[in-house]
Amino acid sequence: MALLHYCSCSTPSSPTPLLPFKKWTPKSIIFTVPALRPLRHRFSKNRPSPRLSATLAVESPTTSDDERGGYSPKILLEVKGLSAVISESKQPILKGVNLVIKEGEVHAIMGKNGSGKSTFAKVLVGHPDYEVTGGSVVFKGENVLDMVPEERALAGLFMSFQSPVEIPGVSNIDFLNMAYNARRKRLGQPELGPIEFYGYIYHKLDLVNMKVDFLNRNVNEGFSGGERKRNEIFQLAVLGADLAILDEIDSGLDVDALRDVAKAVNGILTPKNSVLMITHYLRLLEFIKPTYVHIMENGRIVETGDESIAKRIERAGYKTISAA
Amino acid sequence: MAASIFTPNYPLKPSSSICVNTSPNPSKFATSIIKPRPRTTRINVLTAIASLSDPFVLQIAETLEDSLSSASPPLPLQKLREASSQSLLSTPWPSRKDEPFRFTDTSFIKLSHIQPIQFPPQSTNFLGVSTDTHLPNLVIVDGFLIDSLSQFPQLPNGVFVGTLSNLNSEAIMNRVSEFMSNFEGDLFWSLNGVGTPDLVLVYVPEGCRVESPLHLRYCSVSGGASESKNLPISNPRVLVVVEKGGEIDIVEEYVGVEGEKCYWANSVTEVVIGEGGKVSHSYLQSQSMNAAHIKWTSVRQESASTYELVEVSTGGKLSRHNLHVQQVGPDTVTELSTFHLSSSDQTQDLHSKLVLDHPRGVSRQLHKCIVAHSLGQAVFDGNVKVNRYAQQTDAGQLTRSLLLEPRATVNVKPNLQIIANDVKCSHGAAISDLEENQLFYFQARGVDLATARRALIFSFGSEVIERLPHSFLRKKVENHIKELLDPAVKGFK
Ligand SMILES: Nc1ncnc2c1ncn2[C@@H]1O[C@H](COP(=O)(O)OP(=O)(O)OP(=O)(O)O)[C@@H](O)[C@H]1O
Ligand SMILES: [Mg+2]
Repeated sequence: MALLHYCSCSTPSSPTPLLPFKKWTPKSIIFTVPALRPLRHRFSKNRPSPRLSATLAVESPTTSDDERGGYSPKILLEVKGLSAVISESKQPILKGVNLVIKEGEVHAIMGKNGSGKSTFAKVLVGHPDYEVTGGSVVFKGENVLDMVPEERALAGLFMSFQSPVEIPGVSNIDFLNMAYNARRKRLGQPELGPIEFYGYIYHKLDLVNMKVDFLNRNVNEGFSGGERKRNEIFQLAVLGADLAILDEIDSGLDVDALRDVAKAVNGILTPKNSVLMITHYLRLLEFIKPTYVHIMENGRIVETGDESIAKRIERAGYKTISAA
Repeated sequence: MAASIFTPNYPLKPSSSICVNTSPNPSKFATSIIKPRPRTTRINVLTAIASLSDPFVLQIAETLEDSLSSASPPLPLQKLREASSQSLLSTPWPSRKDEPFRFTDTSFIKLSHIQPIQFPPQSTNFLGVSTDTHLPNLVIVDGFLIDSLSQFPQLPNGVFVGTLSNLNSEAIMNRVSEFMSNFEGDLFWSLNGVGTPDLVLVYVPEGCRVESPLHLRYCSVSGGASESKNLPISNPRVLVVVEKGGEIDIVEEYVGVEGEKCYWANSVTEVVIGEGGKVSHSYLQSQSMNAAHIKWTSVRQESASTYELVEVSTGGKLSRHNLHVQQVGPDTVTELSTFHLSSSDQTQDLHSKLVLDHPRGVSRQLHKCIVAHSLGQAVFDGNVKVNRYAQQTDAGQLTRSLLLEPRATVNVKPNLQIIANDVKCSHGAAISDLEENQLFYFQARGVDLATARRALIFSFGSEVIERLPHSFLRKKVENHIKELLDPAVKGFK
């Protein structure tokens, strides 16, 4: 399992977005990285034997084979008629979003600036700026809307912020240690002290191509745009998630950084967990192959299809949708 | 939550160049009368003194004088005492009507029974003096330097550390004389001048770099029980003279030795830094929560000298730091980083004044305070004066306050006065609760609100604490602050 995502390029030329899920077997993986060379050698020069298993999501549930074999994947997230307003002004932003994400799927949401994509992501993780006024969100069979944000996180929802906030005075490693210990506590495991924790995350830095001193810097303080994005993915890699919501993880990244980030995301994908990406660019979807692409407009998902939608938008913009 | 910011005298945009005029100095009552009518000078001064003499102040001054040993003091000390008594004649006890004490209530001192401490305590083995003896260590108990507890290994040749009475060098004595009584402090400055039993001198000769930090530990032992009105006063006074090109790192630490006693530490530290010299100054104040702690730090910076201060004040019922930095030559560097925590029914006050009279000075001031108690208060008056000849000055001042309880109070008065026209100045003042977005970031990663709050509150002060130059100090301060904040933080859950 640990090596799965390094078997890249297995289906490079046949993106099959609407592939029936039944075809999946534990040994085949749909999220391929056609544009990437096998990257192992890139970071193996520093240390003799990088532990590849470390690149997998930490607490991702293990599944027995018969659970996976032959059956269609379970529903992970089900959003029905979700509407939300800005808490302060009561201005409606989300106006009835519907979305179903099954285990192992990669979804992408595209849409014009201001159409509500980030709001949707933030509402899913319980941001206090927004108030849900209707609809339902069920994640792994539980009503998410009843949970406080930290419960949602511990239940396996992770959102990478479009613009992560700086936290001066709190080091990256302390921050992650707190978050990781919250998880361990939830699982009834003993908390890790700073030294043990350092041992645990040290080698994960390679995943996002970050230097060690990055751990001692304050959370996002003075980070470049690209470093902030890497940091979000680094947190995802350390904490793990069943559903990772990535809000414009590709914006502001140079080509190398994009590869690093895509590599890391592909690295934590398993047939059991899923990704919801918000993006403006086809480029990201070439690195991380989506199962579905959705278009959001004015607080609703107005179109769903395969990667070809993204190609059309790249070519012709969003006006084609309004016309439809 | 009560907060006030007084707009600076001259509103400034960050990094903009400004040319403004001075406001007339309103405080010189006597001179403003004298000037227009020179012939009546004498009468007016006398009347002014008579009307300003405060019987209460004179009474304290007298008891302080009576408490001093009768041996004749070294000349500079004598000079200091004379100048101080002279100024006490015309200095009343401050009231809330006086601008420097507008927000700082000193009546708790006034209503107590103030007693001078005549002798250091006989038994000093209860001090629990630390065993980190590898550092030069100066122990000052109730204002008296205790030789038996102090030690100075590794001090370079020519460095003098000790009381003025023990100084044998005439040359240094003359040097010290130059710096006596040429600064106008306030009432508390003068009371210290009258009451200090001796002067502790730290002298660093030209070109000498003292490698290891000099740790000055001020311990208060005498004290009244917490509800008693007894308030023993101590008046430690330290003069640091660093000659041209010299360097020293001093750590001043104030502690109450046993329990939460009532006492008044009325301390003065003067620092003189010669051309190209450097003083790194750490100042930690963790007095008893029933103590009054009044502290003066007066610094003179000659050309191209550097002064770096990091302060962390957490103790005292009333704690006031008067910090005055005077530039006497160009190209100086001044860095002031201060953190005040008011975690109980207490007042933490910083009045700082930085006067730039010469070109190309660089100054950075950061003041942070947390008020974590509904009866707690923080006061900051930070004056930066860039005078006519201080062209190409680069002065920055930033203050941030965190109010954690509904009735917690902060009074902030950042205050830039700029007369030179080619300067770069910036300042900012913010008063806030914790940042919602930061709290949410923690939550979004699974950390509960109480833990997130604790981390953020703690991190607020660490911007200053991180600047302490020694890890043993940082550790000590961090642990102390964690302890103090813990009950306050639990309140949020
Ligand atoms: N906290 C808020 N306060 C005020 N307006 C808000 C807030 N959050 C969202 N909005 C508004 O809601 C609309 C949707 O914003 P959102 O950030 O969800 O857009 P988006 O689709 O993510 O856009 P982009 O592609 O530019 O990131 C915008 O008009 C935005 O200004
Ligand atoms: Mg957005």
